[in-house]
Amino acid sequence: MQNAKDTFYEVLRGRVAAVNPDRTIVLRGVVRPGVLVTENELVSSVNLPDCFRLSWTAVKTDTHGTMPALAMQCEIAYETAGTAVNAGMDRGRCLGAMDGELLAAIGAVPQSSLKSNYAGLEFGAAAVAMKTNIWWGDVVFGEMKVDDDRLSRTATVEVMSYEEAGEL
Amino acid sequence: MADLLMTGDAAVRAADVLLRANGGRSVLLRMGAPAVSGAEAEELGLATPEFQDMELAPVVFRKAESTATLLVSASVVAGLVGTLAFDSAQVLFETAVGVVVDGVVFVIEKSVASQAMGEPYCYCLTLRAPVR
Repeated sequence: MQNAKDTFYEVLRGRVAAVNPDRTIVLRGVVRPGVLVTENELVSSVNLPDCFRLSWTAVKTDTHGTMPALAMQCEIAYETAGTAVNAGMDRGRCLGAMDGELLAAIGAVPQSSLKSNYAGLEFGAAAVAMKTNIWWGDVVFGEMKVDDDRLSRTATVEVMSYEEAGEL
Repeated sequence: MADLLMTGDAAVRAADVLLRANGGRSVLLRMGAPAVSGAEAEELGLATPEFQDMELAPVVFRKAESTATLLVSASVVAGLVGTLAFDSAQVLFETAVGVVVDGVVFVIEKSVASQAMGEPYCYCLTLRAPVR
């Protein structure tokens, strides 16, 4: 399950960076593509704007096949207050741009990727390609919400994979 | 004489004195050390960043049932903002991991600056106690 989550994050981060290289965030002093997994970061009560924040929620399993199949729901939250140069009056456009980037990144063909095991990164080793793929459905956009000067939206994607032997 | 006292600096000094007089103590502001550029292990939650603790004093700590409040001297915050090269005190508190009070890490939920003559003299932090 963890390998599928890590692989999807890596794919989405790469695709968002390709669609809009300027979509970056500064997190703990380092500039990186504007995608993060909430559960992998330090606990904070502040939501970073102008980036995609991934959270993994529901999980469904099907154990009837030769390999257990998983369907995991990935919630992608994002918000923006627009740009300071335009006094925030472009916040609707900025949110629309983020909608477009997410649609392009998730909807790009193929909607699948070879699953990788990233556990070795902890010890300086490279990621290891596994035998099966992950694949995902289309993005479903939620309602836009207004919170003071920020516009926000949560989109969801269903990510599926097979659990290979030995996977946790 | 009155004009000399009506400055932001005077308010900062007065706040420092009041915080010290009302049980002024010290706590630690816990900051995550800068991340390593391009380190995928940190992005995937495989590596834990290092932390650095900065002393905040004088402060007054009040704890109710579920929430806690910390009044922090603006002079010490201004020093930290300058030393760590943050844009503002708000960014400093938003970036911090939390506040360590007697070995317990509280998460900072909100920071509000009290100002006099346009200059902050005290910060009021709303803290959330860890779930046990």
